[in-house]
Amino acid sequence: MRAGRIAGYAVLTAYAVISVYPFLWMVSGAVKTREEVLEGGHLIPRLPTWETLVTTWNQLHFVEYFRNSLVVTGLTVLGVLVVYSLASYAFAVLDFPGRRALFWFFVSLLFVPGITMLLPVVILEKNLGILGSHLGLVLPFVNGTAPLTVLLLTGAYRSIPKELREAARADGAREARIFWSVYLPLARPAHITIAVLTAVPTWNEYVLTRVSINDPSLYTLPLGLQSLISSQVPRYNEVMAASLIIVLPVIALFLFLQRYFVNGLLGAIKG
Amino acid sequence: MITQHVAGRRRPPGRWRAALTGWAFVFPAVALFAVMGVYTIGSGLALSFAKWNGFTPNWIWVGFDNYLDLLYADPSLAPPLRKAAWNTGQVMVLVPLLTVAISLPLAVVLNSVKRLRAVLRSVYFLPYVTSGIAVYYAWRYILEPDGAINLLLRSLGLGTLAQPQGFLGNPSTALPTLIVVLVWSSVPIATLLYLTGLQTIDPALFEAARIDGAAPRQLLRRITWPLLTPLTAGIVLLGIRDSLHGFQIFLIMTDGGPGGHTDVLGLQSYRLAFFKGLAATLGVSSALGWLLFAGALLLTLANARLLRRVR
Repeated sequence: MRAGRIAGYAVLTAYAVISVYPFLWMVSGAVKTREEVLEGGHLIPRLPTWETLVTTWNQLHFVEYFRNSLVVTGLTVLGVLVVYSLASYAFAVLDFPGRRALFWFFVSLLFVPGITMLLPVVILEKNLGILGSHLGLVLPFVNGTAPLTVLLLTGAYRSIPKELREAARADGAREARIFWSVYLPLARPAHITIAVLTAVPTWNEYVLTRVSINDPSLYTLPLGLQSLISSQVPRYNEVMAASLIIVLPVIALFLFLQRYFVNGLLGAIKG
Repeated sequence: MITQHVAGRRRPPGRWRAALTGWAFVFPAVALFAVMGVYTIGSGLALSFAKWNGFTPNWIWVGFDNYLDLLYADPSLAPPLRKAAWNTGQVMVLVPLLTVAISLPLAVVLNSVKRLRAVLRSVYFLPYVTSGIAVYYAWRYILEPDGAINLLLRSLGLGTLAQPQGFLGNPSTALPTLIVVLVWSSVPIATLLYLTGLQTIDPALFEAARIDGAAPRQLLRRITWPLLTPLTAGIVLLGIRDSLHGFQIFLIMTDGGPGGHTDVLGLQSYRLAFFKGLAATLGVSSALGWLLFAGALLLTLANARLLRRVR
């Protein structure tokens, strides 16, 4: 029994090391000098320096890119929460013609590959005149999260006891008010789960962003990182510094929200 | 919380009123889809039956030619496509399989310990949170010829396993390496799902089985695994979908190289759509996208049937 427990902890520790390994080298590379990063060498830098981080941040307009990423990710998360919490509420508790068909239609969009939509989206946005703007990123990003979001949120709303809704109705509350004062607060963990599941891929999105954004003042962080690599051999201390700058905000966000996130996932599975 | 108790205002809403309320709630989602989805799906489908380079005013309709070109007719398209399909197939089978094989035991062990559980859970989730271009570059950095992985292997006395050209530079190790990175980034969500799934299982079930003299291994096989089957189905399904659809990691880490050994279908469609200059390849790119869609749908249906039979 005791030996079993020790073996268990050994397995858990081993996988913990695997999980953080590339991340450790990212930090280590980011604080190395150019000479030392070329040597390969040790995880622990001999002469750790903040200089790379500072110069990378300054020279590459990271404040600007950071703000752009924040705008795009923030608007996408907001859009997803507003649009699909309303729709999922209707799918979960309201009764109207076409409800089931519409629900399954949204879920089945899960199987339309992003790449299938990529080119038509670019053509459409060119015609609408929003190609290359942040709005041109946010709209398809929001639309793209529909299947999973609808699936998860509908499940979460369904798991809320119907009696609460009936009681509120008996008190004369209208649908909008029930949605706002009963369902939204009770399903907060599910909303946070959706926010994290939306924010992470949006923050890191590179494909649509790369083919649509041309104006460097609208670059998001991944494009900024990519512009570092350019033609020659990548200077890995700068690349790792930029990577670290990209990754830290998301880690902070997750650590901050993780308690809700796990509960939200639990609710989604039960529902 | 709701205090408006105005008995006189209560009237039973008619059917049409309920319908109107329902439609009002789904309106934003439907409107967004009408703008971003209907046209794009429609024009994408139409484009797959035409030749166009993105600049000329007119499309040239060619019927099913794009599809036939991709499948066998065009000698410059079909062979690389078949190679990419083979690579994609390997990714699609191995990534979900390995993800389940790692995350389920990990979740079971994690669920059985008390100390450090919360900390480890956060640590295991790190690869998901950081997944994307930044961490792919970190992987490139440690997979370099002088990178950390080679260094580690040499220092462990496993120098024969080290790759002097780097793991992504050697044609025979590039794809397996990418599969490892993909599994590494999909284990977090799967582990967390399994962990939450395990917590929904009634402990009384285990207790009863233990009293009946069941060994721990039997508990896993007879209780845990069957009860988690729906989760496994979901994880496998999402894994298949991601492998078929996703190509960001391939674009960033190898761009299909060396020599097409890590080329995948999504990457091919992407190149045909955006990096062929004035050649009229947009239709073929679209056709490839729809083949991917058909593939994803078929595999999902097969997967759903298979798992239903297992259950």
